[in-house]
Amino acid sequence: MDEIVTFLRSYPPFDKLPNEAAELAASQAQIEYFATGSDILIMDGPPAQFLYLIRKGTVDLVHMRTGEATVVDSLNPGEGFGHRSLSRSEPPVVTVKAHTEVLAYLVPAEIFHRLCEEYDAFAHYFSASSFDRLISMAQQRDVDASGYLFQTRVRDLIRRPPITVRPDTTVREAAQRMREENVSCLIVDLPPYGFHDVNSGIITDRDLRNRVLAKGLSYDTPLREVMTAPATSMPADSLAFEALLLMLERRIHHLPLVEDGRVIGMVTNTDILRRQSSSPLFLPRQLERARSIEDLRNYGDQVFDAVAGLLDAGASVTDVGRVVAVAHDALLQRIIRDAEKQLGAPPAPYAWLVLGSEGRYEQTLRTDQDNALVYADDHPADAPEYFSALAELVVEQLVQCGFPRCTGDILATNPRWRQPLAKWQATFARWIEVPDEEALMRAGIFFDYRQVYGKLNAEAELRPVIQRGRGNTIFLARLARAALRTPAPLTFFRGVALERRGDQKDLLDLKHRGTALIVDLARIYALEAGRSETSTVARLRAAWREASVSEVDAERMVNAFELISLIRLRSQRSLIAQGAEPSNVVVFPELSHLDQRGLKEALQAIARSQRGLSMAFQTDRLIG
Amino acid sequence: MKLNSFGRLGLAPWLPWGRKHDLPAFLRAYEAGPWPDPHKPWREARYVVLDVETSGLDERRDALLAIGLVEIEDGRVRLDRRWHTMIRPPEGLLVAASSIRIHGLMRNELSTAPTFDEILPALIERLAGRVLLVHVARIDVGFLNRALKPYGTKLRGPILDTARIAITQHQRSQRLGEVSHDMPMPAIQLRGLAGSFGLPVYGQHDALNDALTTAQVFLAQAARMDQQGKHTLKAFLKSGGV
Repeated sequence: MDEIVTFLRSYPPFDKLPNEAAELAASQAQIEYFATGSDILIMDGPPAQFLYLIRKGTVDLVHMRTGEATVVDSLNPGEGFGHRSLSRSEPPVVTVKAHTEVLAYLVPAEIFHRLCEEYDAFAHYFSASSFDRLISMAQQRDVDASGYLFQTRVRDLIRRPPITVRPDTTVREAAQRMREENVSCLIVDLPPYGFHDVNSGIITDRDLRNRVLAKGLSYDTPLREVMTAPATSMPADSLAFEALLLMLERRIHHLPLVEDGRVIGMVTNTDILRRQSSSPLFLPRQLERARSIEDLRNYGDQVFDAVAGLLDAGASVTDVGRVVAVAHDALLQRIIRDAEKQLGAPPAPYAWLVLGSEGRYEQTLRTDQDNALVYADDHPADAPEYFSALAELVVEQLVQCGFPRCTGDILATNPRWRQPLAKWQATFARWIEVPDEEALMRAGIFFDYRQVYGKLNAEAELRPVIQRGRGNTIFLARLARAALRTPAPLTFFRGVALERRGDQKDLLDLKHRGTALIVDLARIYALEAGRSETSTVARLRAAWREASVSEVDAERMVNAFELISLIRLRSQRSLIAQGAEPSNVVVFPELSHLDQRGLKEALQAIARSQRGLSMAFQTDRLIG
Repeated sequence: MKLNSFGRLGLAPWLPWGRKHDLPAFLRAYEAGPWPDPHKPWREARYVVLDVETSGLDERRDALLAIGLVEIEDGRVRLDRRWHTMIRPPEGLLVAASSIRIHGLMRNELSTAPTFDEILPALIERLAGRVLLVHVARIDVGFLNRALKPYGTKLRGPILDTARIAITQHQRSQRLGEVSHDMPMPAIQLRGLAGSFGLPVYGQHDALNDALTTAQVFLAQAARMDQQGKHTLKAFLKSGGV
């Protein structure tokens, strides 16, 4: 009995209350034990009869909506639940499920009300409204997005059957038809007629403007000369978000939806975005409208807003990374085209490469530039000078748009990273053949390259050199050993190992002791399997068959990567919103219990794969 | 006439109008039951979880010094119905000083405590109609039956032993290969067992704290047996009945 009182008194709110409060609660309490996975309270079920205080184990608060269960939070020993339902005599707004075996002290309703009346601190701590805020946040997330962008099928956005015309219809008739039907695009039915298959064409109001009026074509021009065929289409079962991404990547605004090989309707960007305020889809439009670099000054901020909106909408980090890549690539391409206009046509084919996180499609919030330039071996004498000027111009303008230079000077403006193809091939080959410290560090950045602009095909010319590393066990083992130098931050008892920096303690660096570890592992697997994917998730999913990782562990790492990145991104986003510098470091105990538990499991997954890699390459035996 | 002659012949003791006739009303009511239906789910039965403190281990020589109990109803331990009492040992039965210290019971506390005779009605009221739940039944049941003998009665109704459940559960795990065959039996000592479930252990040894610990061990065991498809009191009695 005394022991229960002592336990209650070591947690809020009893720690701030006189001993009698805890004694009253303990003397009248009941004790219940719940098996793992059992439901303690059921959402919309009978109201709670007790205030539940967890003595042992963990419970999940699960929000159920249309068959989807979302874990809103988890509670640990010393924490309580049931008070909202108890104080209002209303059905619980979440299901409370035992995540482990749970031992709970139950304070009966009568005693709960008495404590509320006698002690304001008690009443305040267990006020229903504090709980409501948590739930309404969860519901908000649900409605905003997962309930929308990530749960809606585009089929559900179709408002009417497609309006179709024949290819010999004139543009004048097409425009009249658009006005009558009040639509902004038509499907052009191609032979065999009456069967609107995936090869059907499309004509939009923008086509009429850009391809007919702007070019001064006659109003009697038949559609077959100005339409797009076959139109980019998508299965009607796709998610709204997938449709959004496809439109973004292809820079289109209308998407025919296909079922069983036939077009059954249309969806437009506005159909999808009606409920999204800041959308990544507006970014390319802004690029088109910008007349000079001055208009793009705040492009970085706008990408940030779009990312913030996507995060609120429940997007995964992989989704966010794709959107950001499209947005950044579009900006880069625009800047390079402008630079070419200024400097004249390039003297030789070249490729503009983005490196590191940008190469892996993992750029999210504001980050540094990391880039390099490759040009053809067969070039005129003035080419180096031209590319030097081009690099200076492009890098400077990126700075203007809010993307600072890389502190390590890995930039196309650095002559070392602006070379003809043969030099690059030799450099890559040397890093693999002579894997010294510098080579290993460079490989980690440059081997994750991605071409964003240019006529020279860097993928075909450079990737095979990297793939030669596949059979080079010394290179792979050195890379493995370097990757294992930073172990997953776990204590001997498999808890999370936290750091102290100055006055601050309980810190966890989510990048250097989290995502970076997974990125390194995934790169090694990809090299081991000779895969050309650069994104970490794609590497993990593609490489496990031929790499020293099991499918299960690879999938665990994908989840770990998504989770750690998401927590990092959310924390950075709130820092930026407060006007602070984004940081990779979080104060572990300040995270929600759910995040804490998830992080612990994620770090354990990393440790597991690290052990596997260590065994596969016998890194402990490697000398030198 | 006929009945009286039976009585005179000494055939009466097992007949209702014989020995029973001498029992006080509350003991007759206790014996009459009803007892929990073993075919019903375990949660529907009421339980009284009991622990005793004694001056030694031999119920014929040693004295019953204290009783602590909690009840379980609807699968929940009821702390509000806890009960603890000390018992003054019978005149002439000296209590060894060493054992008194073990239990932290003071000689003067005992000297002012009620006698077993005085607490009997209250004890019986708490035992009536409930499954008796104890840890290592031999001691507690032995002492209680010894104390009840002069009244012409003994414990009735189903008795469950958490130590016995622990043993059958361990044997089951061995049979299913969940633990290695030669793995020794884990602690069945009460605190060790509670520790193996990650349960809190309450205060120092006293009858009420130990009854409470026993009750929680039982809830943990019940949760596991439930998952093994053992839902009824009958199935529980098969695993740990006395």
